[in-house]
Amino acid sequence: MTAVTGTPDPDAAHPVTGLDEVVHQRVRLGILAIAHEARRVEFGYLRSHLELTAGNLSKHLSVLEEAGLIEVEKGYEGRRGRTWITLTAAGAVALAEEIKRLKLLITQVETTDIPVER
Amino acid sequence: MTTEPMPAGGDPHRLLSDVRGLAHRVRVDQRLTWVALLVLAAVTLVGIPFDWFGMKLHCHPDGCEFARRGVLYYWPPALLLAYAAIAVSYVRAARARGVGARVLPYAITGAVLTLLFTAAWVAAALYFPSHPVRFASWMLVLDRLIAPWGIIGVPLLVLAWLERNVALLVFTLAYLVLVLLVLPMNVGFGPPQWGIRLGFALPQLVVGVVLLLGALGFRAAHRRRR
Repeated sequence: MTAVTGTPDPDAAHPVTGLDEVVHQRVRLGILAIAHEARRVEFGYLRSHLELTAGNLSKHLSVLEEAGLIEVEKGYEGRRGRTWITLTAAGAVALAEEIKRLKLLITQVETTDIPVER
Repeated sequence: MTTEPMPAGGDPHRLLSDVRGLAHRVRVDQRLTWVALLVLAAVTLVGIPFDWFGMKLHCHPDGCEFARRGVLYYWPPALLLAYAAIAVSYVRAARARGVGARVLPYAITGAVLTLLFTAAWVAAALYFPSHPVRFASWMLVLDRLIAPWGIIGVPLLVLAWLERNVALLVFTLAYLVLVLLVLPMNVGFGPPQWGIRLGFALPQLVVGVVLLLGALGFRAAHRRRR
């Protein structure tokens, strides 16, 4: 787990300290969210819904695959090549953890009234 | 399309909102509600002649005795085939769109309830001819729930939950009110001169048409969205 905030937080229990750099990235979080809902998702579906180029999406998929959060399966349907992405158990846990920490972060920011840099 | 990498992290509100938005779009893309309703409408309408011609009817001066054998023989296999067809349609459509399907809990609930309805009707066919009973009004509602027209509504609630489909939930609740509380599915209706067979056929026709109209409505909404 790696913190992604620019400034170190003195409070170790703060939710940002638990954010995973691999998951806490908008596109990769989107990939995990779609794969979680879809059970199994095709490369083209991800590309059109996340509005990415094939190359850019491939890079993000590689990061997630190397981290063991997704499985990539290549095959054919007729003559057409298709790539299917499935969330692993570790990916489901990582997504749930990320969402939990985001909710916690929102709650803390709203209750402590800390100015947030946007 | 963009070739620029999107910014890492971001506002947690926005990230959560993105996640919810994407999840909702996937659920919408997995839907094939109109096909489920169309198949159920077809099964209901095709079942009317089976009930009509399969009914054992004995009339004597005191009244008529009837046994709806056609319902018992037609509906269990028809419903099991219908759930299989709906499941296959969902899987194929979802696959074509590039996502997995979420229909299995619906099909399993439907199949289990079909077996329950069959067991209840077989038990009733064996028990009640020799033990005539006058039912309380709440038992008539329960009887309508375990009849095929009522029991197809319960898995639709499961489907509405799976799809997070509020429109289907509202449709199903209205359908269940119609079938359980409004239409006399298990006693028939109409003036006596119409006869018992027609009295049972008319509510089934209404149910079939309601399901068909529901299918057309969901189909129109589906096309508009795409």
